[in-house]
Amino acid sequence: MRNIIYILFFMVALVNAQTKMSNAESAVLKTKVKAHATTINTLLSDFTQYKHLDFLSNDIISSGKLAFKSPDMVKWEYLKPFKYSVLFKNDKLFINDEGNKSDVDLSSNKMFKQLNSLIINSVKGDMFDDNEFDIAYYKKEANSEVHFSPKDKEFSKYIKAFHITFNDEGHVVELKMLEPSEDYTKIVFNNRSVNTPLSDAIFAQ
Amino acid sequence: MRYLLSSFCLLFIACGSYPKKHDFQIEKVATNNVQNFYFSNENEDYVYKANIDVYDNNFSGIFIVKKIEESNHRIVFTTEMGNKIFDFSFVNNTFRVNFILEDMNKAILINILKKDFRALIQEKLPIIKSYSTQKDTLVYETTLDNKTYFYFKTQQLDKIIRVGNGKEKVAFLFSEINDTIANRIQILHSNIKLNINLKLFK
Repeated sequence: MRNIIYILFFMVALVNAQTKMSNAESAVLKTKVKAHATTINTLLSDFTQYKHLDFLSNDIISSGKLAFKSPDMVKWEYLKPFKYSVLFKNDKLFINDEGNKSDVDLSSNKMFKQLNSLIINSVKGDMFDDNEFDIAYYKKEANSEVHFSPKDKEFSKYIKAFHITFNDEGHVVELKMLEPSEDYTKIVFNNRSVNTPLSDAIFAQ
Repeated sequence: MRYLLSSFCLLFIACGSYPKKHDFQIEKVATNNVQNFYFSNENEDYVYKANIDVYDNNFSGIFIVKKIEESNHRIVFTTEMGNKIFDFSFVNNTFRVNFILEDMNKAILINILKKDFRALIQEKLPIIKSYSTQKDTLVYETTLDNKTYFYFKTQQLDKIIRVGNGKEKVAFLFSEINDTIANRIQILHSNIKLNINLKLFK
């Protein structure tokens, strides 16, 4: 009997590895992340991307570098297993696909503009917009995990939720984008450096 | 009248069979079926970097094929960042669109992709006739969904051609082959501006 209780207790503990935050805790986290986000002028980070499709045996793994320069330049560069980069700059999207360059004018494209600001906000972690998202806060071991579910019906057809994991300093360590089908893209950041001077050459296309 | 006759002649030449036009010689073979092993292993995730040229637009992304079980394939195309562009299921003879971006949700496009991908993953088809070419290639004629296909085999399957009115409509080219994995695959259309280039993820 005692064993059963232990097992039950252990199961409950497992389920609770991710527990809901109290209002006070979520307010502290939000303040911390927002304060950190406003100090970010530049950001450089390595990333590893895991594309999870339920029917595959393994996640599809790719990796590269992310560079951000305030207010709105972002370069998302894949280095393995292929070379591919997208650069958001001056209302344009520049694509470099293994040397083949192209660009898309975003000034008239609302969806791409939204995407750009979404990428910037998610990288900084500051997506705390109650008009745009239903937001839920969780504790996950030493980290925090916040779930942002888009309120916009059109948008939620593509992305059901963003799950952002913050470390105890309020920095984004993981970004997960979930599709309505439960398939997801998980991006894990490492070797992150904030406010180191980035030359414009990084953002040249 | 003379014009009519010469038109008929022209028509006749134009409709000449594909094997005749390419000087294929009838060849007897012992096998009854032609096989394509490139997407036949259930334990394999087939993941390719893809470039799709449609008219003057170029799309790139990740092209994924998975054999779920016998006669059941899933084909998904996503952007590099993982957002799904389309997601199709081929189960026995049925075809299902699990997801497609609204901008691409056009019956004509879906039909073309459906036809192409069905041919791409089809593992086994009965041989109607077989031929040999001067380049030591065996060519097998077969049909799939009432369309005529020619399978070209040297050491392995190098090429599949879909033919209509004696003319090549679509070519599927397999190269850099390791065992049963084609590292490069091209799907080239002759009558519309649509080409798909696939390069295996490594």
